[in-house]
Amino acid sequence: MRDLVRQLRHNRKALIGLLILLLIIGAALAAPWLTQYAPTARVGRPHQPPSAEHWLGTTRLGQDVFARLIYGARTSLAVGFGAGVMITVLGTVLGIVAGYRRGLVDEIINFATNIVLVVPNLPLLLVLAAFIGQASPWVIALILGLTSWAWGARVTRSETLSVAQKDFVKSAEMLGEPAWRIMALEIFPNLISIVGINLIGSVIFAVITEATLEFLGLGDPNAVSWGIMLYNAQNSSALTVGAWWDLLSPCVALALLGLGLALLNFAIDEISNPRLRTGSRIQRWTRLVRAGEGRL
Amino acid sequence: MRFLLGRLAFYVVAFVAAATVNFFLPRIMPGDPIQIMFASAGSQLSMENLNALKLTFGFIDAPMWEQYLKYLQSVFTGDLGVSIKYFPLPVTELLARALVWTVGLVGSATLVSFTLGSLLGALAAWRRGSLFDTVVSMLSIFFSSVPAVVISLVALFVFGHSLNWFPGGYSADPLLDPAFSAEYIGSVVYHGTLPMLTLVTVLIGGFAVTMRNNMINLLGEDYIVMARAKGLSESRVLFWYAARNALLPTFSSLAIAIGTVLGGSLVTEVVFNYPGLGNLFYQAILARDYPVIQGQLLIMTGAMLVSNLIVDLSYVLLDPRLKKA
Amino acid sequence: MSEPVLSIRDLSIDYVGLDSDMHAVKAVSFDIGPGEVFGLAGESGCGKSTIAFAISRLHRPPALIRSGEIVVGGRNVLDLDADELRRFRWRDVAMVFQSAMNSLNPVLSIETQFYDVLHTHAGMNRAEARARAAELLRLVDIPAERLASYPHQCSGGMRQRIVIAICLALNPKLLIMDEPTTALDVVVQREILQRIDALRRQFGFSVLFITHDLGLMAQMCDRIGVMLEGELVEVNDAQSIYRRPRHPYTRKLWASMPRLRGERVRLEGGDA
Repeated sequence: MRDLVRQLRHNRKALIGLLILLLIIGAALAAPWLTQYAPTARVGRPHQPPSAEHWLGTTRLGQDVFARLIYGARTSLAVGFGAGVMITVLGTVLGIVAGYRRGLVDEIINFATNIVLVVPNLPLLLVLAAFIGQASPWVIALILGLTSWAWGARVTRSETLSVAQKDFVKSAEMLGEPAWRIMALEIFPNLISIVGINLIGSVIFAVITEATLEFLGLGDPNAVSWGIMLYNAQNSSALTVGAWWDLLSPCVALALLGLGLALLNFAIDEISNPRLRTGSRIQRWTRLVRAGEGRL
Repeated sequence: MRFLLGRLAFYVVAFVAAATVNFFLPRIMPGDPIQIMFASAGSQLSMENLNALKLTFGFIDAPMWEQYLKYLQSVFTGDLGVSIKYFPLPVTELLARALVWTVGLVGSATLVSFTLGSLLGALAAWRRGSLFDTVVSMLSIFFSSVPAVVISLVALFVFGHSLNWFPGGYSADPLLDPAFSAEYIGSVVYHGTLPMLTLVTVLIGGFAVTMRNNMINLLGEDYIVMARAKGLSESRVLFWYAARNALLPTFSSLAIAIGTVLGGSLVTEVVFNYPGLGNLFYQAILARDYPVIQGQLLIMTGAMLVSNLIVDLSYVLLDPRLKKA
Repeated sequence: MSEPVLSIRDLSIDYVGLDSDMHAVKAVSFDIGPGEVFGLAGESGCGKSTIAFAISRLHRPPALIRSGEIVVGGRNVLDLDADELRRFRWRDVAMVFQSAMNSLNPVLSIETQFYDVLHTHAGMNRAEARARAAELLRLVDIPAERLASYPHQCSGGMRQRIVIAICLALNPKLLIMDEPTTALDVVVQREILQRIDALRRQFGFSVLFITHDLGLMAQMCDRIGVMLEGELVEVNDAQSIYRRPRHPYTRKLWASMPRLRGERVRLEGGDA
C-alpha cells in the first residue's frame, strides 16, 4: 500500500491526473468564494457571451454559467464518488466471497454477475429511471451503485482465486483463522490495486452515466449538476442560437474530470502490472542507445 | 458444440432476466401499476385497446405468477404491445424500423473502431516507449474517458454547426424518398458519416488500450521470442504471433464492450437526431411511453446477446483450443 | 583447435533501470568448438540466459549490450543489420527455450510453425515444407500426422521434441538449449537429452547447454563454465569441474547438489 503511494508520486501520469482532480475538487469546495452568484439565481440577461462580469457567460434563463459549473462540480463529484464507492464495495465484497468460499455461493454470485454483465447497462438504467420519474442526483447515485458492480465482482473474483492459493492464506487456514478474517486481512490487502482500479473506473463510470441520464431528461431539471446543464443547454437550443459557452462549459468540465481520473487509473494499472511498468526506464534506455553507449 | 449450447442456454436465461425486470418494475413502484404503465395514454386509447394492452403486460385477474407467465408468453410470442405515443403502431414495428438504422450505425462504427483501435494498440505495444506509442496511448486514454455525450455534442458543434461539413440530423435528406437509388444511398452515407465517426471516436480509445495491454502482456511469452529467433520477418511475428494471439482476449472484451457500444450509440443518436433505437428510446422517455421503453430494454438486451453469440462463434473459429471441445 | 563455432569476447550486458543499471553480464568471454557441448551453469539470475538471448540478439529494452563481441562464422553478430540478422537467426543458431509448454504458438498448427521457418529461409512452398517437416519429425519419433495438430493437443515432452525438430530444419551450427527440460519430468528429461546427444553426433552441431543442474550438465557436456552474479568464474572440462572444482563457488554448487555416484557417464543409447 505504501509502496503504491510511493510509486504514484514518481509517475507523471498520476501526478497530472491528481492535479486535475484536486483542481476540480478545490473549485467545488471554494465555490462560494470563487463567485458572487448563486447557481440558480437569474443574475443577468439571457445568453450573454463570456465577459468580465460573467466569465463563462449566462444561460438562457440568465444564470451565471461559471457559478453553475463550480457548484455543479459538487454534485458530479459527490455522485461520482458516492456511487463509485458503493459499486466498488459491492463488487469487492461479492468478488472476494465468491472467489474464496467457492462452492454454491460462488455459483450463485458468478451466475448473477454474468447475467448483469450481458444486460446492457445504460438501457437498464434508463428504464429504471423512467419508472422513478425525475430522479434526483442521489437517487441516480443509488441505482448506479446497485446495478453496476458486476465488472468489479468478476475481476476481483478471478484475482481472489489466485491469491487464495498463496502460502500465507494456506497457513492462516492451518492456524484456524476464521474465514472473514482471512478474507479481510489476508486476501483484501493483496487486491488493493485491483480495488483502486475498480474504484476509479467506477467513479468515471458514475460521473459519465449521471451526466448522460440527466442529459436524456431523466434527472431533476432543478438540480445543479453538469448533466442538467447539458440538458438545459440542449433544450434551449444553445448551439443553434450560437450560445456555445452554455453547452461547451459543462462539456469541457466533464472531459477534464474524465481525463484526470483516467490518468490516475492508467498510472495504477502501470504500477500494479510489472509488465506495463517499464515506461520511464525505456526512455532512459533510448537515451543511452542514442548516445552510443550500447546496443541490442 | 457443447460450449455453444451452454452459451445459448445462458443467453435465454439472461433474456428472461431482462423481461423479469420489465415485469416487476411497475409492480414494485408505489401506486397502481396499471395507472403507472398507461398514465400517458389519456383518452387516446379506447377501453378495448387498453384492455388488450393490459393483457399483453400480464395485468390479469390472477395470482402474480400467472401474471408473470402471461407476460413472458407475450414477450416470447413477439407481442410487445402498442406504442402510446405513436398509437396504434405496435412496439415491435417501431423497434424494427429503428433497429435497421442502429445496426448500420453501430455495426459500422464497431467494425471500424475495433479494427483500427486494435491495430493502433498492437503497433503501439510493438514500438513500446516510442513517440508513436506515447501519442496513441495518450489519445486513447483521453477519448475513452470523455463521456459520449460530450464527444457527440462537440462533434456536432464543430463539424455540424461551425464548419458545416455535415448535416446535423436525420438519417437521410428528408425530402428524398427511400429507394435503392444512388442519390438516396449517398444521402444516407452523408448523414450517417458524422454520427459514425463520432461513435468511432467514443469507442476507439478503449479498444486501443485493451489491445496494447494484452500485447504487452504477451510479448514476453516464449513463443514470441522463439518466432523472432526463427528469423521471421518483423511483420510476420507482429501479426501472426503477437497480434493474432493478443486479439483473442481483446475479442472477448469486445463482448462486454458491446454494452458500452449500445450506450454510446444511444447518446450519439439523440444528439444527432438519428432515427435509430436510441432516439426512439429518448422520445419514448419524454412521452413516458412505457410499452416502448420496456420494449427497448428487451431489444437492446437481445442485440447484446446476439452480438455476444457472434463473438462466441468467432472466438471458436479463431482459437483452435476450443474447436475440439 | 579448429576455428570456434561461437566466440564471445568481453560481453557486458546491463538491464537499464530508472537511475542505475543492473549489470547482468560482466565482461564474459568463452569459445565453443565445432561439435562441442558447452555448459553454462549457475543459479537463476546469474546472467546465463541473458547471454543465450544475446547470441541471437533477442533482447528487448531495457536490456542493453554495453560492449563486447559475439562472433559466429567469422562475423560479429552485433554488427549485422536487420536483414542480415534475420537471415542469421535459426540458420546459424537455433534455440530451445525454457518452457516446453509455451514455445509453440498455441493458435497456429504445428505445420505452420515449420512452414514459417522453411518458407522464410529456404523459400519452400506449403507442400515442400510439409514433406520436409514430416522428415524432421521422424528424426524425433513423431508421426507426420501430428503436423495438423495444435500444440495443446501434444504432451509437454512431445512439444519439446517438436521444437527440437524445428531447430534442425536448417542444419544450424549451434543449438542453444536454455533450461530445456525444467518443465518436464525426469524420465522425459532424460529421453530428450539422449536424443539431443544422438542428433548432435549425426549432424555435428555444437550445443550451448544452460541449466542450474550441475549433475545433469556434467553428464552432458565436454566443457563447463560456471557463472556467478554475471561473471564467468571458472571454465574447465567437465571432468575437472566435477573432480577438481577450483573456484569456491563451484564447490558450493556441488555441495548443494545430491552427490552423484561413480564415474561420469555419457548418455548413450537413444535410437534416432
